[in-house]
This record gives sequence, C-alpha cells and structure tokens, in this order.
Amino acid sequence: MAEALVIKGLSKRFGGLRAVQDVSFTVQENETVALIGPNGAGKTTSFHLITGFHRPDSGSVLAFGQEVVGLRPHDVCALGMARTFQVAKPFGAMTVLANVMTGAFLRDRHVAAAQKKAREAIEFVGLGAKEQTRARDLTTIDQRRLEMARALATQPRILLLDEVMAGLNPAEIDQAVALVKKLSASGLTIVIVEHVMRAIMAVARHIVVLDHGQKIAEGAPKEIVENPEVIRAYLGSYVHPTAQGDAHA
Amino acid sequence: MQTSGNMKWLWLAIGAVVMLALPQFVTSSFAIDIFIRILLFSFIGVAWNLMGGYAKQLSLGHAAYFGVGAYTSTIMQVNYGISPWIGMIAGGVVAMLASLPIGWLCFRLRGPYFTIATIATAQVLMLIFLKFRDFAWGAEGTTIPNLGSAPLMMQFEEKSSYYYVVLGLLVVGLWITHQIEKSWIGYYLVAIGEDEDAAEAIGVNAPKVKRDIYMISAFLTALAGTFYTQYIYFIDPATAFSFNVSIEAALVSIVGGIGTLWGPVIGTVLLETTSALLQSWLGSSVGGIQLTVYSLILMAVILWRPTGLIGFATDVYHRTLRRKPARA
Repeated sequence: MAEALVIKGLSKRFGGLRAVQDVSFTVQENETVALIGPNGAGKTTSFHLITGFHRPDSGSVLAFGQEVVGLRPHDVCALGMARTFQVAKPFGAMTVLANVMTGAFLRDRHVAAAQKKAREAIEFVGLGAKEQTRARDLTTIDQRRLEMARALATQPRILLLDEVMAGLNPAEIDQAVALVKKLSASGLTIVIVEHVMRAIMAVARHIVVLDHGQKIAEGAPKEIVENPEVIRAYLGSYVHPTAQGDAHA
Repeated sequence: MQTSGNMKWLWLAIGAVVMLALPQFVTSSFAIDIFIRILLFSFIGVAWNLMGGYAKQLSLGHAAYFGVGAYTSTIMQVNYGISPWIGMIAGGVVAMLASLPIGWLCFRLRGPYFTIATIATAQVLMLIFLKFRDFAWGAEGTTIPNLGSAPLMMQFEEKSSYYYVVLGLLVVGLWITHQIEKSWIGYYLVAIGEDEDAAEAIGVNAPKVKRDIYMISAFLTALAGTFYTQYIYFIDPATAFSFNVSIEAALVSIVGGIGTLWGPVIGTVLLETTSALLQSWLGSSVGGIQLTVYSLILMAVILWRPTGLIGFATDVYHRTLRRKPARA
C-alpha cells in the first residue's frame, strides 16, 4: 500500500500557545484514519496546517509525495486534498446544486459537465431530492452532506472530514457513519476528526490521539481505548485511582 | 434558472423597441436628461455589481475609476486631440491597471476595512488631481472644447444621441454580466461573497478571481466617466472623483438587488425617478424635504428588503406560483 499522506514534525504556535507540537503520522492509501483528542488538543489546527489555511512554523506535509506546506488552500485542493469544516460553511444563498457545481468547476469549467459531476456527488451523499433547495434552508445533517458533496465534486484522493457528526442525533450518526464507509469503499483516503467515539470505532482502522498539541498515542482502535495515556487525557487521572499508578509509571 | 425561453426573448424584444423608440416620442430635454442619468447610473451600478454584488466586496471607491476614465480621455482629447472614443477605451485600460495596485492593497482587508480602504483610494486620487496643477488643470478643472456636431469626437447636438450612446454602454454591461453570471466565474464570485474560506477549500483561487473581476468592474466604470465628461462638457476633480458616484453605484445595486442582472437597473429607475419627482413636487416648497423623503425610502428598503426589490419580487413570484425558490 502506498503512503497517501505523510506528516512529519508539524508545529504551530499562536503567541505563547503551542497549538501543535511536533506531530507526525502517516496515512496509507485508501485507509481511514481518525484524529481524536480532547477539546483544544490541536485537531482542527492540524487540519488547517495540512490544507494550507495556516502555515506551520515547521514540519512537512507530503500528499502523494508532494510537499504541500506553503501552498494556498485552493492549490492544496487542486492537488487532490479536500476538506470539510467543523462549522459547516455552505454558500447559503445558492442552491445545493450550485454549491456542489462550484466545487466541480475545479476540474471542468463547462457548466453542463460540472452539473453532471455535481449531481453524481449529490446523489452519492443522499441529497438528490434537495438539489434545488437553498443551502441555508438545509438541516444540520444535510449541511454536512452538502459539505461532503462539495468536497467530493473537486474529485479528491484524500478527504479530510472535520467533526462531520457533531450535533447529530444517534440515528443521523448511523447515517453519517454509513456515508463515511461508503466514501472509503469508493477508494478515498480519509482523515476524520471526530468526538463521537462510536462513530470512530466504526470507521477508523487507525487512530492518532492528540493532547495539548502533541501526539500521545497511535494505533488500532482496540489498543487506543485501553491506552492509559489516552484515558488520562480524556478523563483526567483522578477519576481512575487504579489507573493512576500505571499512568505515572 | 431559465424561465421559459420564448417569453424571455419576447420581453427583451419589447424592451429593446421601447428603449430605442423612447427619444423619438419624448422630446422634452428635461425628460431625456433624466433618462440619460438613469441609464448612466444603471451602467455604473452594473459595473459595481460585478464585484460589489456578486462577490459582495462592498467598494465605496468606484469614483476612482470613474475619475481615471474621465481624466484619461479628457487629457488625450484636450492636449492631443485624440477622439474620446479612443480615450474611452484608453481610460478603461488605465483604470484596469490602476485597479491592480489598489486591489492588491485593499483586498488584504475584509469587510468594513475593505470598504474604508476603497473610499480612501478614491479620495487620494481626487487630491492628486487637485494638487498637481501642471498635470491636469488642478481644482478649477477645464471645459471640453465644443465642436458642435462631431460624432467622431463623441459630441452631438441632439441629446437623444447621448441617450443612445449610454444605452449602448448599458447593454454591453448587462451582456458581460450575463455571460459572467451563467459561467463558472459567476459561481466562483457568489461563492467568494458567501464564504471565502469555503470557496478556497474547494479550489477557488479567491485573490485571483477578485483581482480579475475588479479589473473588469474598473474598466466599465471608467467608460462611464468618459461618457459623463463628454455629456456635461466639463471636468474637475470634485466631479470626476465625487463620492456621490461611489455611493450611487452601490446604492442603486443594493436597492435593486445585489448580485442580480437587473438589480442595478431597477434600483436606478426607482431612485432616480423618485428623486426627480420629489424634486419637482417638493423641491421649491420646503427646502431639503425631497432629500428627507428619499432617505426614508432608502432606509425602508434596506430595513425590510435587504435582498433588494428583485429579491422581493422573486419571493412574491415564487410564493404566488408555489414554485420552489430557485437560484443557481
């Protein structure tokens, strides 16, 4: 299996805050990797660094062997890496179709061709019945679907999903999980930031855990849930008096 | 979305015939003057709307390009005897070039800061033309030599000729807008206006798209500047770089509906006719009352119909016909 995304020594400071410190991990092609950690661990910042929205202080990001640090977001996208945002950013005044066509124009400037590509992406995420709905009138889950369809329309090879399940009810989470699995089955490499553990366990083959900007653990889902460092990061050491000795050991 | 194609062409044809025939039936010089003002400000609004409306980059400095266009053609005509028809295009090109550094500076800022920066650029240009007298007549300006009937020098004895010139400009502006609106550029502009980060994330080179549309917008605005100077046979910095031009360009679009093809035209028709009527009815009785009423209308539109009259009309249309709101 080829390496789709290789991240090495990624660091970013905001004033005195070390948002991301020396984070490295590798994502294999067609693998789904989850990036987890408590609030403020640096997950979203990592996404910003990888996709060109922030420039890292140091480190490198290789997408299919090509350095993307220093590129602007639209160049990163053109290289085949698309992302969604934690807070959905639909083009509110546009219809669903127009939103997704805007993504499709990256690969084909012709309206008819973009429309065709956009419809495929819209069908894929299950928004087919709403293509003429104005984006601002969509429900939360449909806005997430739209974000994914718009990203898909740019024909990425790597898809970065930032908390696509936040704010969804359990039934919707199941739908979203099914969608992520479907995306993976279509051959995409996926990096997903998520808080919903049930969803992560269902989709990720590999998990990277961040805390205070640093990578504290990495491995298969089963190893991660039993890792004392991870438990400590999430729950704090005082909750688990028995685990405390292990954590300090 | 395409409404039934044949109907659209029918309306366009009717509109064209009415617009072309109008000066033949309306002979009052006062009325023609109002028509010319309406067409001119519609055109400036259309030029502004490309960037201010579709991409929501609220510029209040388009007078910069109006003035650059006006001065370029006037300097070429008065100093070198070059026809304003050529000067007009030259003015457009100069405005395009001027928009590059201005855009480079202003587009670093977003929202209100961008707007303030655009105001400043127009003011700075006005000051330059005020202070450097050797360059272009300074504060007193200059009159355009009257050659009588000289169509090749953009001078006409009939007011209706000016009407046709500015009508032609408006048609060109609308045609360009229509071409942009239905192409990928239109989608990119609206996407940038809605959320620049989201647009970047899906591959939109926002700085480049903004720069390009700003150039087109500046070019068209400069054409209006040349036309206006030729029409009033006079130029000075206060007129050419008038803040009113910047305001009017934005206002007519906002009132009519930003980011729509016909918004600036409808906005201008409403504002200019209201202003002209109020002036003739109330102007002599109580000083300033026509401006007060005018301001109230503006406030009413902005408060209750922020999508402009086009947005209002579209909503009513879809509600009464029970069709889905469609905007692509």
